[in-house]
Amino acid sequence: MSHLLELGGISKRFGGVQAVDDVDFHADLGEIVGVIGPNGAGKTTLFNIVTGFYRPDSGSIHFDGHNLVGFKPNQVARVGIARTFQAVRLFANMTVIENAMVGQHTRTKSGVFGAILNSRRTTAEERRIVDSAINALAFFGDSLTPRLNQLASELAYADRRRLEIARAMATEPKLLLLDEPAAGMNPAEKDGLIELISRLRDEKGYAIVLIEHDMPVIKGVCDRVAALDYGSKIAEGTYDEVAANRQVIEAYLGKAASEAQS
Amino acid sequence: MIRRKLRPGVIGGAVILYLALIGMVEAFEDRFIISNVIGLGTTLVLVTLIGTGYLASKPAEEHHDPPALAGLVTGAFAGLFIAVCVVILEAMLSAGIQVRNVFVSVTPGLLNVLEFGAGKILGPILLVIVGAALGAAAGALRTLAVEWRGAIVYGLSMVLGISLAEPLLVGVIDGLSIPSDWLYDAARGGLTVTGTIITLVAAGVGRWFWLRKRDTVVQFRAHMPDDRRRKYSRVAAGVIIGVLVALPWIVGTFISDVLGTVGLYVLLGLGLNIVVGYAGLLDLGYVAFFAVGAYATGVLTSTASFLVTSNRDQFAAHGFLNFWVALPVVVVIAVIIGAAIGAPVLRLRGDYLAIVTLGFGEIIRTLVLSDWLAPYLGGAQGLLRVPPAPPNSWNLRDPRNLYYLIMAFGLIGALVAYRLKDSRVGRAWAAMREDEDVAEAMGVSVVRYKLLAFAIGAGVGSLGGVFFAAKIGSIFPNSFSLLVSINVLSVIILGGIGSIPGVVIGAFVLVGLPEFLREFGEFRLLIYGAILVGIMILRPEGLIPNKRRLRELHVADQEAQMGELVTEEPA
Repeated sequence: MSHLLELGGISKRFGGVQAVDDVDFHADLGEIVGVIGPNGAGKTTLFNIVTGFYRPDSGSIHFDGHNLVGFKPNQVARVGIARTFQAVRLFANMTVIENAMVGQHTRTKSGVFGAILNSRRTTAEERRIVDSAINALAFFGDSLTPRLNQLASELAYADRRRLEIARAMATEPKLLLLDEPAAGMNPAEKDGLIELISRLRDEKGYAIVLIEHDMPVIKGVCDRVAALDYGSKIAEGTYDEVAANRQVIEAYLGKAASEAQS
Repeated sequence: MIRRKLRPGVIGGAVILYLALIGMVEAFEDRFIISNVIGLGTTLVLVTLIGTGYLASKPAEEHHDPPALAGLVTGAFAGLFIAVCVVILEAMLSAGIQVRNVFVSVTPGLLNVLEFGAGKILGPILLVIVGAALGAAAGALRTLAVEWRGAIVYGLSMVLGISLAEPLLVGVIDGLSIPSDWLYDAARGGLTVTGTIITLVAAGVGRWFWLRKRDTVVQFRAHMPDDRRRKYSRVAAGVIIGVLVALPWIVGTFISDVLGTVGLYVLLGLGLNIVVGYAGLLDLGYVAFFAVGAYATGVLTSTASFLVTSNRDQFAAHGFLNFWVALPVVVVIAVIIGAAIGAPVLRLRGDYLAIVTLGFGEIIRTLVLSDWLAPYLGGAQGLLRVPPAPPNSWNLRDPRNLYYLIMAFGLIGALVAYRLKDSRVGRAWAAMREDEDVAEAMGVSVVRYKLLAFAIGAGVGSLGGVFFAAKIGSIFPNSFSLLVSINVLSVIILGGIGSIPGVVIGAFVLVGLPEFLREFGEFRLLIYGAILVGIMILRPEGLIPNKRRLRELHVADQEAQMGELVTEEPA
């Protein structure tokens, strides 16, 4: 019964704007859920609430036995939720491998004294960090592995997107939140992305929630789709169900268009 | 082209005129660069002409002037400009016009230098010819292969540099009891002709080989097996430490004292580097931790401290604590205060953080002067009778002993900074510096790591205060002004933010340089300022920039692993 991630009645208001309005949502391991909706529908706000950047005004967030309301972002990462950002946000002046190594932060614990004394535990842990970072990067075939020591800012756009996902993978999450991963990609790259996201589920078993405007991508990977408009969930179901939903068509194309279609 | 080069030529000439009118050219002429051949004043004129020609011959996209010709024209204009000025000034002097009422430095002596001692008529002509020749030579440099250009420029620079460093180097060479008379003319000053040639050739050839073989050396280093590399870096570290240990005995007590001050700034710089360079928190009130270190040391060890005597005029036989016991206590106090200062500013970023920390720096100083703390910390009368650091107890305040202490702790500080840099903690700081939100989303507790940076930075910086107290012996609030914060920040910016060798070099340049420029008397600060501006224009990233360096220790086995992974994955 209980889902890996379960949101109940989440609401969030910014001044006069009801950004998220009484949203219920859930996601499970091995499942890919799409979140769609017009600009300003509250999709990214929802991500920010789940990852602790915003505190919801009301509602509950349960994840893997934790009640996440009031968690700080770093605590959310610790319990196993990783995310990417709408505009790629890498650590630009760090190398590719260092970016991925930062992802390992929550899974390791050596501190100041370990580092200063260069204790055996620290060196062993450091080796482990490098290994898992390389592992996460190797998931992307040979697009990132040959560039371990390049600065993140020197990467091509698609590789930056990949590195952002690799960095999230390095946190060893159970749930991966992808915020518009296809933005700015060409059709060929989008096909690659569809394959990649499916592989993430099949090989890593993550629960994946992605926000996306690109319908072919949503159609290509999502087991389930939720549509938001003005902060409320207006539809949920398979892609075909949601795409045929009258309210969804209205939200995207306006009322007249939906009447014309029916 | 002739019209195009008029402007740079006149600018070059104007620079020379400026140097002449403020008196530098004549005042420096007594100082020989090459004994009995050329003085520093003339050198200044010649170097400016070369620089003018070199800069003006830079190939532009729209004009394809041959560099040598462009340099020649520019140099000739510069020479002409000065020549005209010289002729006018000569005329005015011989007409009895009192030029010196306005330009105090215009003397027959100055004009004589500008005329290269060739007289009123031949001199100006010579100026144009020399200008044209040097300009052409400088322009021609651009057409040379890079090794040759490097060799020539480097050779000439070394001649100038070694000659200028004479007061320092003579002391060092004598300290090693090696004869120095082949290099320097002891009687008149300046390099001997033999010394000049040897320097020129050695520096030029060395540079030539380096430029030619640099890639080979880099390759060699990159492919060196890990254990060999580790052995080499250990040997290098040993040599550096050996030099540092021997240094005070070679350079004598005065320079040892300067080195001690440089060391203080190295400690402060290492600490601030953690806060600013690693964690990206711009702290303009760093002097606070310097003050905490100094005052805590003073209170704990002074024989006039309120802890051991209730009467300001009666001194106890001993301080409250022995220096060595006090030292860790001071560091712990500084760490706590660092975290306490960090706590209220955790939510601030960038500029706001800088302004608030600026305030903290001033608050500490004001607190010391306040009625509340003055009875304990001495207020404006200062905290007196701080005993010197231990080895000095039987040797008073020998700067050499203090130097060793500071150096030892500087090495510890550098080791701490070095180890932290590439650790999990250092990466968390770097991530936070790059993007606070994302770092937080990756599980880095920004609150915790900001506090940690402030605390460790405070701890390392307080050591600077400890040795400052032990060095000076009495502590006054005005030693802890905003200027200290600015200087320390300048040290790390000059050296290269985030770079440990950069801190050391930065401290040497910023703190050591003014001492070595004393020779130049009233022009000292002018030259100092010009050098700092020049460094920042030429190397905005700092003298030894912090390369996001390859993870040297792991790179080899990573590559091996990568190979396996890539082959495993058919993809």
